[in-house]
Amino acid sequence: MHAARNIALCTKDCVCLFVCPTGATDTENGQIDFSKCISGCRLCVDACPSHAIYLVPSTYPKPQKKEAEVQDALFKLAESKVSQETIAKDLASGSDDPVFRQLCKTVAMSNHIMAEDCYREAGYILPQSDAVRSLLTNLLEKEKEKVAFPVEAVRKLLEKL
Amino acid sequence: MTRRLRVEEEMREMTYGELAAMCTNLQKACTKQMRSEEAQLFGVLASYYEQGRENSEERTYQDLLKAINEDLESGYREANAQASAYKDRGSLRALVWGEKVSKLLKSLLMRYDKQKNTLLENTNVYVCEICGFVYVGEQPPSLCPICKVPSFKIQAVQKEAV
Repeated sequence: MHAARNIALCTKDCVCLFVCPTGATDTENGQIDFSKCISGCRLCVDACPSHAIYLVPSTYPKPQKKEAEVQDALFKLAESKVSQETIAKDLASGSDDPVFRQLCKTVAMSNHIMAEDCYREAGYILPQSDAVRSLLTNLLEKEKEKVAFPVEAVRKLLEKL
Repeated sequence: MTRRLRVEEEMREMTYGELAAMCTNLQKACTKQMRSEEAQLFGVLASYYEQGRENSEERTYQDLLKAINEDLESGYREANAQASAYKDRGSLRALVWGEKVSKLLKSLLMRYDKQKNTLLENTNVYVCEICGFVYVGEQPPSLCPICKVPSFKIQAVQKEAV
């Protein structure tokens, strides 16, 4: 369990630099150096006056089982959102009117986000879960022959998750 | 009602467009856990599916309206019934947000149908990157009215010439 900084909340009080025993909080990119952070130490978390530092769990509880009917209904909704995203994208690319293209792009973005949220609640909230591993394994099996398919990326994901 | 648990995930039939949304969902989930390398890898997979996504078959603005009406007339009702029957709070939450966003999108599409470009000509358009809420106006609200995320998560959509 290591500390992470929410840049949007950080008010640069720099107390974390003062309390950190390893210098993990002192970095150029504004984030905490996870490799130096002592697991569960939390000195910076408790000291931060702007509540901008929190602990990221290294392991999560198993996600709750999703009922098949709920999952099916959410997948069906996601399918509809993605098909609306597709129509909107095609309408945008088929038009040379900047205002209409802006509208279609907006509709596409909104539908994409709604589809993501359906999948999230359909049992794909946690990347390091059996559901995701099984999905990646299946995709790799099905698509590994295709030239453009990023085989290495999927193998690395299966290794790391 | 028989209670069925999905024991092992069998491969669902999913289109490339659907897989693209699945992968960006997982990419965002990794970002939230500060797993930047995994997030980047899901991003690579998402672009593979995005580039290969199917075109719609000669579909029109009216088809878009028809699809959103179907969601509002039956999709949300059916999903809500299942999620309520199983007291699935997470799913109910997503459905509440999605239904509100869909209603707003429908009204935006209908207004555009009547007013055409005058609707968006001298104003800005924003999308909430958490729930998909769409806002037309000068400045986005300080909190998203649907999911209550602060406005730095509400992004402007630019007008672009071809």
